[in-house]
Amino acid sequence: MNFAESFRQNFIEADRWRYLWDGLCTTLLITALAVCLGMILGFLVAIIRSTYLRTHKLLIPDLICRLYLTVIRGTPVVVQLLIIYFVIFASVPISKTFVAVIAFGINSGAYVAEIVRGGIMSIDVGQLEAGRSLGLNYTQTMAYIIMPQAFKNVLPALANEAIVLLKETSVAGYIAIADLTKGGDIIRSQTFSAFLPLLAVAAIYLVMVVVLTRLVGRLERRLAANDRR
Amino acid sequence: MIDVKNLTKDFEKTKVLRGITEHIDKGEKVVIIGPSGSGKSTFLRCLNLMETPTSGEILFDGKEITHLHDKEINQVRMRMGMVFQHFNLFPHLSIKQNITLAPVKLKRMAPDQADKKAMELLERVGLPDKANAYPAQLSGGQKQRIAIARALAMNPEVMLFDEPTSALDPEMVGEVLQLMKQLADDGMTMVVVTHEMGFAKEVASRVMFMAEGVVMEQNSPREFFRNPKNPRLKEFLSKVL
Repeated sequence: MNFAESFRQNFIEADRWRYLWDGLCTTLLITALAVCLGMILGFLVAIIRSTYLRTHKLLIPDLICRLYLTVIRGTPVVVQLLIIYFVIFASVPISKTFVAVIAFGINSGAYVAEIVRGGIMSIDVGQLEAGRSLGLNYTQTMAYIIMPQAFKNVLPALANEAIVLLKETSVAGYIAIADLTKGGDIIRSQTFSAFLPLLAVAAIYLVMVVVLTRLVGRLERRLAANDRR
Repeated sequence: MIDVKNLTKDFEKTKVLRGITEHIDKGEKVVIIGPSGSGKSTFLRCLNLMETPTSGEILFDGKEITHLHDKEINQVRMRMGMVFQHFNLFPHLSIKQNITLAPVKLKRMAPDQADKKAMELLERVGLPDKANAYPAQLSGGQKQRIAIARALAMNPEVMLFDEPTSALDPEMVGEVLQLMKQLADDGMTMVVVTHEMGFAKEVASRVMFMAEGVVMEQNSPREFFRNPKNPRLKEFLSKVL
């Protein structure tokens, strides 16, 4: 079987390209929503943790956050996905995509939290003192002085985390979600040829990651130029 | 205006302040000198509760402030400006925004009112053309002048200076001291921790020598520098003068 024939069989025949296209859409949807959830969780945890580290307030929330970070970063994302689907939401009729968003969002949140906490802790303590000495309270100082600087510093790292998450969602097939990876696998199971479908899947991921990484690089250079003004 | 009674401060096991009782009157310019590690910065930082005293009392306008709630502490801090050794300007904000942030967010002024005040202050510190610049574009001396303007924007009743010229290149010390002198001449109550003996001689109404966590000697600048009595002070002055 030559290449053209194989291509036709794997992608054109029976509209099999749709597995890849629909899968890609699912992958992007899960990634986008999980990134949002991860950012919200991550910032929350980072603020609680850095508040505890700097002011020794919020001990109980900090303990909960530390437990969350340890468990999530200490176990594989696939296992977390399976537990959330088959254990936590076992008896709840719920969209699998939604489950995936929850699982990947919670997972990403742990990594985002540590990135953001690093960003907050890297801001000189003098900034906090200057804010407080003017009469601003802790929350105002965080909101107007610390977080804007921390956010700018960690923006490239956060973007990279989003890129990592895009690839990590490829295990969504474990709970039978037809994402991009699963789409290629379905084609393989129908045509009994592994080479082209899986290569196509890999190529699509690679293109997305390369493009996004370029964008992050550009962002980083712009932020750096901003610092020199 | 400020009454300090038997103030102590420990960091872990180290006793930094070992019982300080002081009174600072309205309009006084108190200059605190002393070797490093003598507790002079800690003493200053206790006055606006940047450090929480271990024991003792601080009365500001007759009101005890060491056991206040956060909200009330913020009220006290609004009335006391502080200038830091390392300026601590907000690098992500323009000079004008550095000055207007606190008065606007704390609802002391409307934004346009704060802008006007900021421009007045920039005139006063001699940097009106820097309103839209960012801290990174300024020299150290300019940064410190802006930091002073930022503190003044809250219309404080007292200004606390924590070694305001120690991080500056020598040629920039003068412009900051000049501005502080102006401020003193305008009647501002000031407490200044510094190593600038010239400033102490010229501007202070009272000079205080701190060492080992206590005030060892204090006097009018004239007497203080002419007739030091404490042997530690004599030794210190012989080294720095």
